[in-house]
Parts: sequence; C-alpha cells; structure tokens
Amino acid sequence: MMELSNSPSAQAMLSNGIVVSLLALGGLAARAVLRNELWRAAFARVLGLRRWSIVVLSLYVAVALLDSVVWVGGSMQSEDQVASFEARSVIDRLFVDTTEKGYSAPMARVEFYDKSPLLHPQRHLLGTNILGQDVLYVTLKGARVALLIGGLTSLITIPLALFFGMTAGYFGRRWDDLVFFVMSTLASMPGILLLIVLIMVLGKSTVSVCVALGVTSWVGFCRLSRGETLKLREMDYVSAARSLGVSHGKILLRHILPNLMHLVIITFVLLFSGLVLAEATLAWLGIGVDGSWGQMIAVAKDELSRDPVVWWNIVPAGAALFGLLLSVNLIGDALRDVLDPRTWGSQD
Amino acid sequence: MLYLPFATPPKTLDPAISYGTADTVVTNKVFDTLLEYHYVKRPYELVPSMARTIPSAQRLQDGGVRYRFELHPDMWFEGDPCFSLSGQSAGPDGLPRRRVTAADFVFEIQRVADPLLASQVVETFARLRGFSEFRKRLDERRRDPAFARLRVEQQYRAAGEFEGARALDDHTLEITLTEAYPQILYWFAMPVTTPVPWEAAAYYTGENGRPPLTEYTVSTGPYVLTSYDKQARMVLSRNPQWWGLQHEREHLFPDVTGLPEVGDLLASVGKSLPFVDRIEYRREQESIPAFSKFLQGYYDMSGISRESFDKVVREGGLSEEMKQKGMSLSRSVEPGVYYIAFNLEDAVVGSKAGDRSRLLRQAMSLVIDVKEYLRLFANGRGVPAHSPIPPGLFGYDAAYKNPFRTPNLERARALLVEAGYPGGIDPSTKQPLHLTFDVADTTAEGQVRYMFWVNQWRKLGLNVELAATNYNQFYAKMLKGSYQIYTWGWMADYPDPENFMFLLTTKMAHSVSGGPNNANFKNAEFDALFEQMRNRDNDAERARLIKAMLAILERERPWIELFYPEDYALVHGWLKNVRTVGLSTVCTAKYYDLDAAARARARAAWNKPIYWPAWLVLAALVLSIVPAVLTYRRERS
Amino acid sequence: MLAYLVRRSAYGLFVVLGVIFFLFVLFFTVASPDDIARQAVGPKAMPEVIQQWKVNHGYHLPVWPGAGHLSDNLLVDHVQRMIAMDFGKSDADGVVIWERIRQGMWPSFFLTLPMFVIGMVASILTSLFVAFFRETYLDRWVVALSVLAMSIPTLLYIIFGQFIVGTLLRWFPVSGFDADPAVILRFLTLPVLIGVVSGLGSSVRFFRTVFLEEIHRDYVRTARAKGASEMRVMFYHVLRNSLVPILTQVVMEIPFLFTGSLLLEAGFGIPGLGAATFEAISANDFSTLRAMVFLGSLMFIVGQVLTDIGYTLVDPRIRLDA
Repeated sequence: MMELSNSPSAQAMLSNGIVVSLLALGGLAARAVLRNELWRAAFARVLGLRRWSIVVLSLYVAVALLDSVVWVGGSMQSEDQVASFEARSVIDRLFVDTTEKGYSAPMARVEFYDKSPLLHPQRHLLGTNILGQDVLYVTLKGARVALLIGGLTSLITIPLALFFGMTAGYFGRRWDDLVFFVMSTLASMPGILLLIVLIMVLGKSTVSVCVALGVTSWVGFCRLSRGETLKLREMDYVSAARSLGVSHGKILLRHILPNLMHLVIITFVLLFSGLVLAEATLAWLGIGVDGSWGQMIAVAKDELSRDPVVWWNIVPAGAALFGLLLSVNLIGDALRDVLDPRTWGSQD
Repeated sequence: MLYLPFATPPKTLDPAISYGTADTVVTNKVFDTLLEYHYVKRPYELVPSMARTIPSAQRLQDGGVRYRFELHPDMWFEGDPCFSLSGQSAGPDGLPRRRVTAADFVFEIQRVADPLLASQVVETFARLRGFSEFRKRLDERRRDPAFARLRVEQQYRAAGEFEGARALDDHTLEITLTEAYPQILYWFAMPVTTPVPWEAAAYYTGENGRPPLTEYTVSTGPYVLTSYDKQARMVLSRNPQWWGLQHEREHLFPDVTGLPEVGDLLASVGKSLPFVDRIEYRREQESIPAFSKFLQGYYDMSGISRESFDKVVREGGLSEEMKQKGMSLSRSVEPGVYYIAFNLEDAVVGSKAGDRSRLLRQAMSLVIDVKEYLRLFANGRGVPAHSPIPPGLFGYDAAYKNPFRTPNLERARALLVEAGYPGGIDPSTKQPLHLTFDVADTTAEGQVRYMFWVNQWRKLGLNVELAATNYNQFYAKMLKGSYQIYTWGWMADYPDPENFMFLLTTKMAHSVSGGPNNANFKNAEFDALFEQMRNRDNDAERARLIKAMLAILERERPWIELFYPEDYALVHGWLKNVRTVGLSTVCTAKYYDLDAAARARARAAWNKPIYWPAWLVLAALVLSIVPAVLTYRRERS
Repeated sequence: MLAYLVRRSAYGLFVVLGVIFFLFVLFFTVASPDDIARQAVGPKAMPEVIQQWKVNHGYHLPVWPGAGHLSDNLLVDHVQRMIAMDFGKSDADGVVIWERIRQGMWPSFFLTLPMFVIGMVASILTSLFVAFFRETYLDRWVVALSVLAMSIPTLLYIIFGQFIVGTLLRWFPVSGFDADPAVILRFLTLPVLIGVVSGLGSSVRFFRTVFLEEIHRDYVRTARAKGASEMRVMFYHVLRNSLVPILTQVVMEIPFLFTGSLLLEAGFGIPGLGAATFEAISANDFSTLRAMVFLGSLMFIVGQVLTDIGYTLVDPRIRLDA
C-alpha cells in the first residue's frame, strides 16, 4: 500500500477505505449466504465441525484489521520523531515507545548481551529483536501481511480464473483452444521457478509479489472451472434455457455460476494457505514481502545457532504461520467434505 | 593437507580479468609476482620475489619514470600440454615446460590492454607509455577479419610493441611510465602482473574441449591448481618445480627476529617453503554449518560468524571453551573503510544548497553511532572511522578525532535548527524532511542493518526512506544521478593513502567521468592538495598535506565515515604460522605449517554422536502399531 | 492410436514454442541487456567494457525484429538457441551453462531420486495402511497428523531438522556434500529424510482419498465376496486401479527430479541444479534462470505427453475416447 501514494494521510484514507469495503463485502456475502437455506445449513455444519479453527482464524483477521485501521497524528515517540507524522495503526499505537536498544529475552529486565538495564523492564512478552523492537508487536504486524498476500491475491486470481474457465468451457472452440493453450504453457513451467523469475523481473514490492503469485496460481482453478462448466453445459436445464432463447450471459450468471460457487469457496480457502506457504518460501529465498512471518523466520534462522540460543524471534513467527495454515487447512477440509464430497485430489 | 571453507566460487582465474576477493583464494597461491609483501612487517612493506631487488625509480628527461626489474634465472612454468605449441621438451613430470622470461610479463600486460578481455584495471596501466595506443591499434586491426583469425600472441606482435613494457632480454623487464606514480610497484605485487605464457593463452581458448583461461591456470607459484570444481571443491597442490625451491636464499621463511609478536614463527625461520602439501577448499554456502564443522575439526581455520561470536570470544580474547580446544585467535584491522555518502549533485543534500545542506550533512553525521552498530551487527569487530584512511597506512592518525563523528544528539539538533530544519521539519511542507537512502541490497538481513541507520536519523526528526532495489536499478539510479544517500565500502588495492583520497577527487567524480567518486565531491582546494600529495614519499610534508585534506572533508562531509573492518580468524592448535593480512592478494598459505597427527587425534575425540533418541523413536513407532495389529487380528476372527 | 500420438506430440511442441516466447517476453523486455551487463561486470567498468561484455554474450543485437534486421535480432536468436538447447554462458561468471548443468545434475539426482522413490513408497504404503484401517483411531490420527504436517512450511522443517538432528544429536553433518561413495550417504541422509517428511503430509492425504474412492467401488466388493484376502484386495485391485492418479502425480514430479529442490539444496549446501538456480537468483543471472525454467518446462511437457500416451495403454476407456 505504501507505493501508491506518498502522503501519509492519503495512505491512511486508502487503508481505511479498503478495511471498510472489505467489511462491507463480507457483510454482503454473509447476507447472501444466510438467505439461502442450503448454504446456511452447510455453514452451520462447518461451524460445528471446526469451531476452534474458525475462532483462531477470526483472531488473525481481527488483528489484521486492527493493523489496517490507520490515522495520522497522536503522541510523539521519544526516540522516533518522525512517527507522529506517519499513518499509524491501532497495533502501532498499542506498542508506541517500546523499543529497546537490542536483543532481550522474553520478560527480561536486562539486555541480552551486554546486560544493561532495559528501558521497559519486564514489559516485553516475547522479548525484543536485534533492532530492539518488541517481538509480539512485529509478529502481530505480520498477520496483516499474510492475510494481504493470501486474501488479496485470491480475490484477484479467482474471479479471473473463473471468468476464463467458465467462458472457455461454455463457448468452446477457438476461445477454449486459446485458453487451454495459455493454461498449458503456464502450467508446464515449474511453479517456484516461474514465481522467482516473475518477481525478479517485476520487482519486490507487495503488489508485484501478489501479481506474480496470481500468475502462477490461476491455472489450477481455471482448469477446474472449465471442467465443471463442460459438464454443466450438457445439463438439461441449460439446453432448455438455450432453446428458450435465453442469452449466453444470463445462462452463465444464473445457471452455471451458482453451481460453481462451492468450488470457488473451497478453492479460495485452499489457495489462501498455498499462497501464504509460497510467500514463506520466497522469503527464505530472499525475495519475500517485507514484514511477513516468512521473512522473520529467514532473518532469524541463524539465531538458533547462537550460544545461548535466541529462540524468541523464530518461534512466534513459526507458530503464527503454522497456526494460520493449520486453521485454514482444517476449515478448507471441512468445507470440502460438506460442500462437495466428490471433489478430491484435483486441488492438491 | 589443509582444509578450508569457501562461500563464493571464484568468478574467473584469468589474472588479467580477476578483480574480486573470491578469485584470490586461488590466484594468490598459484600466481607469483615480481614483488610481494613482507608477511609480518607493518606498515606493509614490499620485498622482492621474482625480481632480484626492488628497482628504484629513474627519472627521465621528458617527465617519465622508468623501472628496471632483474629477474632470477632458472624460473620455470609448471609443466603443461600447452607448451607443445612451442615445441618444449618434457620436464620431470612428463609434461613440456619452459623457463619464465621477461617477455611473459610483457605478454600479461598486453593482455590487460586487450579490449576483448575487458580488464578492470586498464586505467591504472594506462600510465604505461604507449599502453593506450597499443590498445587502440589492437582494436583497429581486429576489424580486419584476417587479422582477427591470427593467434593471440601473433596479434599482439603485429600490433607492435610499446615503450611502457619491454623485455630488454630474457631476464630484464623495463617499465616506463608517463608520469611519476610510485604506487605502481604495489601493482607488481598483485596477480594482475604475474607472467603468463603466450602458449597458455593460445591453447586454452575454451574451444576444442579445452577450458578457457578463466577456468584454468598455467602458473609459477608455490602451489598449482590440481582440481577445480568451483561449485564444490578446489584443490591446490605443492608445485615441485617452484622456482622458490631453487632460490633457497630468496624463498625461505623470512627472518622475523626483532619484530613484535613473532614468538610462534621463530621455529620456522630459514626453513624452505611451502610447508603444507595440499590445500583443499570446500564449498560452504551457509556460515553456520561451516563453523560447526570447524569446531568439529574438519576445517583448520575459520572466520567467526555473528551468531557464534559470543561463544568464541569473551572480553576481547578467546573463551575458555575455545582455549581448551587449543585454538588461537588471529586479529587484524583490514585496510578498508565503510562509509555512508551523500550525492553532492542533489538539490537538497548537495553543494548547490550551500551552507544549508552542509549543516544538514554535518548534523546527520553527528548523530550516527557506529559503536552501537558494530556491537549489534558485528560483535564489536571494527574500528570506528574518523577519516577515510585506515590504520596501517601512512596518514592515519589514531589520535585524530573527527568532531562530526563523535555522536552528539543535542549538537546535531542545534545544527538542524541552524540549517533551517528545526526538529527535522521542512518548513516548505510542514512535514519531516523527506530523504531517500538508496541501497542495492533487497535481502531482509540487509534491511535490518540499514534500518539501524534510518532509525538514528529519525531521532532527529528526519524522515529517511529506505529505497532498496536490486543492483541494476541501483546502478541506473547512480547513472542518472537520482540518488541522495547511499552506503559503500572501499578495500585498498594497495596500502597507500592515495588509493583512498583519489576517491574524492573531481576527476573521479561520477558525473564527470563515470569514476568511483559517487559522492560527486568537487572541491578545487582538495584537488590541489591531492595533486601535491599523491606521488610524494612518506615525509612530513605529505603528512601535512593529508591533514589539510582531512580538515576539508571534516567540514564538507561528503562521507559519513563508518568503520574500518576488523578480521577475526579462529585457528586450530595444529595449524601454525598464521597471520591475517588485510590484502587478499597476498599468499599466506605458503607460510602455514600443519600437524596432521594432532588434528586426527582431536577429530576423533570431539565427534561422538548421540544415539539414544533414535532407539526411543523406533520404540515409540513399534508401540503405536501394536494396538492396530491387535485390532486387526480381533476383527478377522 | 498413431494419430493420437502424433496429435498429442504436435500439441506438446506447440506448447514448447509458447513457453519459449513467454520466456523471451519475460526476460528481454523487462531487464535490458545493459543492466545485465553492468551487473556482471561490476561497478568500476567503463562503457566500452560493458559493450564488449554484451558482444561476448550476444546481447548487443536489437530486441525485436524490424526493418533491416529481420533475422539478426534477439527474438530470433533466442528462439533458435532455445530450440537447439544452446543456453550459452552464464551472465554471472561466464561459465557455459550446459557445463553447470552437467556438474549439478548428479548431486541433484542423488538427492531427488531417493527422495522421490522413498517418498512415493512411504506415502503409498502409509495411505494403503490407513485405508486398510479406515475409520479406526489410527486413520483419524494419521489424517490429523497429515494436516498438521502439511501446515508446516518446508523451511521450518529444514531449520528445525538441521537443529535437532544435526546440531543437538550430531547424527549427521548439518550440511555439505561429497560425491565420494564412501561418505555420500552421510551427507544425503538428512536432506532426503527432511524432504520425504515434509512432503509426506500432503501425499498421504492425497493417496488416502484416492484409495478410499476405489475401495468403495463395486469391483472391490465383488473381490471380497469372491473370498480375496484384504491384503490382496488392497495391494492388487485397489492399487492397480489407482494407477491413473498415481501416474499423474509421478509425472508432475519429473521436472523436479532434474531441477532439484531449491530449498533443500540451498539449506544443505548441496551443489546441485537447485543451488545453481538459487545462486542465479542472488546474482541476477537471467541466462541461467532462463535455461532452468525452459528445461523444467520441457521435462514437464514431455512427461505429460508420455503420460497421456501411457493412459491410453493403462486405461482402455480413455483409448476409445481418444
């Protein structure tokens, strides 16, 4: 988000605007789902099966949202004179003025290496990192990055893949051939290599990483929706609608699309975890997004070899990453079982 | 056999092209030069090697300077199939070989001149008379396809000799410069001036299944390259035909009696070099596993990674644990300097803004606390720098304290007010002054380091944005001049202050000639002082000139000098005669001595694996299957 | 049958051309040859040195075909070279890329082949085992463990694996590689182990679903009714009929066998193709990256064509459709 505008208040407006629109979108989607009896029953079942996973996921979302609500101004930080002019989030403000000079162990009174007294003794639940930042703070900020990568990329990738897949399966012939060809070309390139090359070429900003991730992941769902559309096209009610003279567009929207929605939801959830995992890999290779947990892990991996061991940087990041992936995977599994017991294996 | 780790593979082994520290692990051992550095004496001192004596400069009528090198007789290249090109007879190892002549030194200098090889030190050797003209002639004649098909040494011969480098006879080399440049002698201690046989260049072209000279060496040094898999393993073996073995008087372990801290070396004085038979380099991309292996005794010497530092060094000396293993610590300050620089062509921080920007630069310089940086990121290894000239060089004054390099937040804030940026606020925008810090490192680890500097400036209220791009974009920014603040480092080519001060002269400015003065510092007074000081001998007048130049730098602050890097090396007890020399072109390995029996004993004692968890896991697995098998049995019956 | 073979192969070739063109657009239109040259030669180089480097590496031609240079441009050059598989020299250090591939192929192979074979065997056996014990506590535990295992990123496996097995227990060296047959096992065991374990989670889940699908089919019930033992049902009937999805998985892994595992090789210091790619990333070595992506794609496409043809042999239903 930083690259899009220079002024902090413009950044603040953009970020807050996105939070509001996301909440609105979420609200609209929830309303649409709850209206439909079948959907409501399905989600109730999932809720029952995976209560804890949903709670955990909501926690992540809440933290990410809190970190996205930003505004300029407020108290001056004693060490950092510039911060009060920048757009800071709720999370930022909770941790104002908590920076130490260097490493410190969780809940310690003194600095880790030179044993000098801390500025805020026993205030750091997870200790501090090499720059003196509170580790809990840095970890919480990573939630927003992870959800951004998973969520934003999915939000862009899935509609695009859906569009191409649906139209290719429905209209067939030349368009289908073209789409299928492009899919084959992209799919034949080793995913991780293509991802790396795209990022090296597009640059390292958050947007380009999302674009690169999108380009490498849309093929799977496109293929799936194309296959489903091909099957749906042969259905009786579709032929009936055609013979009645209903336009292609209406058929796609009214008959085909709703029958693909369950796939969309399952794919969204599973793609999400795949994307977060992919970003972690990129961070390990040195080309990840700033502030992500993968990057925290990559930077802190050498700290395990110190003597005494500095574990409080890598463990929270790893645990946070693991927690997110596990809850998303569990929810995705449950969704799959509930919504479409037949769809197995083609997503992996 | 010596075992050492290496992280980056050499880029090229061709001495005419090689210019990076990764190459020198091989090139400094296989390529011998006319002169070399004394192993122990500091400040650095040149001693003769392939040349009999260090020649003195002979001034010529037309302002030029001439040096005459007398070579030892009876120096041989290693035996190699390439010498079949000149019909040489076989040596003791069955391969054809021949003697080294002065013409081989000339050939290498011609190779440096060759535009096709794209050598990076052309500017230095352009001082040789006729060098640039030879280069041009060669380029022009190559346009003729018939000429271009000739073998390389024939091309050089046809392009004609030049006065700058001539072989008067087989054993006399004459170098003529267009102007006085006493530092040229240092270049004759670097692999770029090693003798190269024309047969090697003609034979090893990369065609006909033969490797190119970037991957193959035909050399004269104490070691020869016997195995080269640069991604994994490089092996150097003792050269039985090394000329140093014949010239015993010249190539024994130097007499170091009377020098400080030489106790451990005295036993080797007068003995014939090298002591170690083979050196094996193994690729270790990650520093921590490499260090673990070192601790286990599989490597004989190692640097100390940041993570392991506290385990190894306590209060400036070795920790108990390390002492018990019999290790020793070797420390030295490297002749190099790391700095943050301003682009003086920039509108905000540059000279166009006059006093305002000068005060800004001084304030920014005043708030940088290098000691803290070194403590966090380098375990305190490094000497905070107050000037561009590192210790060990003439012109370095340990007592000199740059007033703008001793951190003082209050004074910095006051300077900012004077500069018209009270509290860091830019009055025209009412926001903190926005500056960009351009770096070519996009890794997360690099980011952490740069954020340290950024945070220090934020204390002043300056909003310094970190602009990390890949190297290409960084360089593009440099070319366009669209950068404000950046960080750089410079390691000495040779130990003379001229090699540092030239980085700030107008002639070298990036905007003027594309040179290394990226700060675009253009100060006429400084230039004038530089012209006077650069060729002087190390006398009182030179010291005075340097002091005056430093005073200018102090005031103008084109650079914020950060630190001189310190090199710590851990050495196992069975490896002797180790000294660290900050110049990577120096071959230190030929002086090392190894007690292989002691090493074998230590390895056996230190590496005993722990097996009990494996049995535990196996037991757990078996136990978990038992109920399943029982259930199955039950269901079947 | 022959017509299908020809058609399928021709399509494969077409896709290869698509990949070549895509790679060209990606590499040559975004990073200019000047950038690559400067990156390789270094900061102190003069413009003529840059130009010479470009000539030496073939980057001095115009990018797209145009008037006067219809065949003398980078696009045509690139297409020709890719088809001939002449990858030229590395941008970073001038080594002939095929040399690098030849050298790196073996270490990668020594790592990926055991990993693949052991991983396949382990996951198939575990899934069969679990499908055998379906609905019992064992099944539930294994499924839960699989999801857990899947949620741990590979890099965490590597970091903790190295820490526990290499540093704490000192069973194996933490990294490094030596092709000497006497010691090669010591260096390969840990990375192969970690590679297998990290992939086990998703493989087991996948195969388990495949096998469970098959188990509920009619022919299995028939076989059981005929008196076949459970073991025979599992290993003979179910496994055989699951060959199609298993084959698909195998094919998808083939390019990986050659390109090597980036993460494992980088983390364990194994000088294979994965490590070469990793270095190419840090060195901005586009020519090596281009070669690796192209090779990987080629392997994959060939594998896919072979699989499709293999399908027709394995499953008669498909043959009729084709």
